[in-house]
Amino acid sequence: MGKPQKVKDIFMKTITYLGSGFSLLFLTITMIFIFSNGFGLISFGLFTGDYHAKYYAGRPASVECEGCEVTDELKGYYSSVYGIALYDDFDRAGNVVIKVSYVHENSPLLNMLDTNNPNQSISLKVDDVVTRVAFFDQPSALTRNGASMMIQSMDQSTEIRELTFSTLGGGIRGSLITTLYLIGMSLALALPIGILTAIYFSEFAPVNRLTNLLRSFIETLTGVPSIIYGLLGITLFIPITVRLNLSQGANLFAGAMTMAVILLPVVIRTTEETLKSIPNSYRHASLALGANYTQTVKKVVLPNALPGIMTATFLAVGRIIGESAALIFVLGTAVKDTVRVNESSTTLAVHIWTVMTDEPSNIELASSIAFIILIIVLILNIGVKYMSYLINKKLRGVV
Amino acid sequence: MLDVWKKTQRNNERPRMLGRNDKILYKLLLLITIISASFVILIAVFITLRGILPFITDNSGLGSVDLWNFFTDTVWLRGQTFVSTAYGAGFLILNTLYIVFLSLLISFPISVFTAVFIAKIAPEKLAYLMRTAVEMMASIPSIVYGLVGAGVVLPIIYNTARSLGTHSSGGNSTLAVVIVLAFMSIPTITAVSEVSIRNVDENLEKASLALGASNIQTQFKVVLIAAKSGIFAGVILAVGRALGEATAVSLVAGNSRSGPNFGLFDITSTITSTMLQGLKETQGIDYDIRFSLGVLLMVVIVITNVLLNLVKRKVGKLHG
Repeated sequence: MGKPQKVKDIFMKTITYLGSGFSLLFLTITMIFIFSNGFGLISFGLFTGDYHAKYYAGRPASVECEGCEVTDELKGYYSSVYGIALYDDFDRAGNVVIKVSYVHENSPLLNMLDTNNPNQSISLKVDDVVTRVAFFDQPSALTRNGASMMIQSMDQSTEIRELTFSTLGGGIRGSLITTLYLIGMSLALALPIGILTAIYFSEFAPVNRLTNLLRSFIETLTGVPSIIYGLLGITLFIPITVRLNLSQGANLFAGAMTMAVILLPVVIRTTEETLKSIPNSYRHASLALGANYTQTVKKVVLPNALPGIMTATFLAVGRIIGESAALIFVLGTAVKDTVRVNESSTTLAVHIWTVMTDEPSNIELASSIAFIILIIVLILNIGVKYMSYLINKKLRGVV
Repeated sequence: MLDVWKKTQRNNERPRMLGRNDKILYKLLLLITIISASFVILIAVFITLRGILPFITDNSGLGSVDLWNFFTDTVWLRGQTFVSTAYGAGFLILNTLYIVFLSLLISFPISVFTAVFIAKIAPEKLAYLMRTAVEMMASIPSIVYGLVGAGVVLPIIYNTARSLGTHSSGGNSTLAVVIVLAFMSIPTITAVSEVSIRNVDENLEKASLALGASNIQTQFKVVLIAAKSGIFAGVILAVGRALGEATAVSLVAGNSRSGPNFGLFDITSTITSTMLQGLKETQGIDYDIRFSLGVLLMVVIVITNVLLNLVKRKVGKLHG
């Protein structure tokens, strides 16, 4: 080997290292960005909270707070007159807000008269956002004055005229529930159809033109962009659900049907591959014992295909969680807090799209949702790997 | 598959040994398979039917959309929404193809080098790590790529454009879309290429080595050439996906209303990003025209696919 060739070799080798370095770099950037931006908002409240904040205005019925002297360290500033602690923080859109960190059990703010609906009483809760405290004898304390000013004004004043506050908002409970509903409903449609189709191809299909045609039609589905599935949902599935009186417009049934069509090729291919990997000796043994084909499929083939079906399910769930373009059309983009199957709502992925296309866009919240999605996808990936390990182990045992 | 059965399958007959129960099951399964297969036809028929409506009806008094104009015009809509029907998507076709071509310029070399690295050059542990990394990249949903594009790529492009003395609309640009699509194409091309590189006949490699070629020489001049058909298949797959990618693109494109937009720092729009624009109304011509765009998208994808497959056949024949 000549020297120039050696130099060339080292050069080419370096280039392959660089190429994979770039790939790895892209992945690392993606991960670091999502984790660093999204981790800050991850909390229990994010999962259980409403997306749309509710606004209240109320007036305390009394000004007494008995036994409200607190000696413990509290987050932020504490008013012993009203028995609440406030602190400066950011909401989930990144705006400066004043949050409630503690409400004493005797606090008068737990029993306020609703200004908008005088017969009702409302109460301030931990994590609520206080936007304005108005008094009779001095200027109102606002968010921009800060938590310490607000507490000072409350302590100095004789009586609160009105306290304006809201829930935190920006939670993803609605989208989370929609995603779970959609996973259940789409799988309920896609798995039976997909598995039965796979059984047909693997166990029954004669080798002829019809089989090839059917197979190529199903394979073509893989190449159809998801936005086209969205259009299918609008023209076919939404009208069907409306005709069946299930809904008036965009709804989860139509979303699940659309998703089921998207999932079909994945479920069929994965299941069929597993069915084909089951040794023929299993089937022969069953037939030799006098079982007919139906029994053989039901009692021998299907149980052995279980890891493959699990793999298909994991892949399908991953696809449902990540799908955005199709669902934007079929489910709409309005985030809902109360999810009903016959109305529109958003999944986690569409929720990202909604907060990113809002003005101004909310990258933090979007990253938090992306963080959750990535974690789920990661777990599903591990599941897929474990299943293929199981399949391999089983097959090795047979041979 | 059962051998007895397989024989009847080959003879193009229905399995003869089926009992009554088996026949019922057979028919049920065939029916379900036909249902699964019919969806692709339903998609084509339903979307085309709705997609041609704006061209053949008068759109409740607005006049029909001119087909020639739709395919060639360089402005999305001349006149006001819901007043005019002068829609043009010609520049969207050019933009889409241009963007996908540019993204391939980035993703193709990176993917092929990564695939060679994983399949042939890397030590076992490093190869395993890279393979896992590529799998992870493949499983990241596209909306997340769009988010990363909006959060990471846009600021970089904005600052670069500023330091170069040009203007970019907050970073929303052709370049941003190209980079995001390149990100997304890399795992597809890499995975397919790696498999086809590993499937190359070992004897070819051994023969090359025996002739005195170095290992690296063999990988690049023999193995890669032998695997080119498979690598091309990966490219076709990636192009198909890139053409149809919607949400990630629309988050970084800037959505221009006229074009074609060939400047790297100019805002742009593709067929898919235009379909996602202004979804507030769900009736009327401005909504229905999306179906026409959908038909256009399918036509573009099918034509590109056919052309690339022709090229693939030509390329496959070269060098034996």
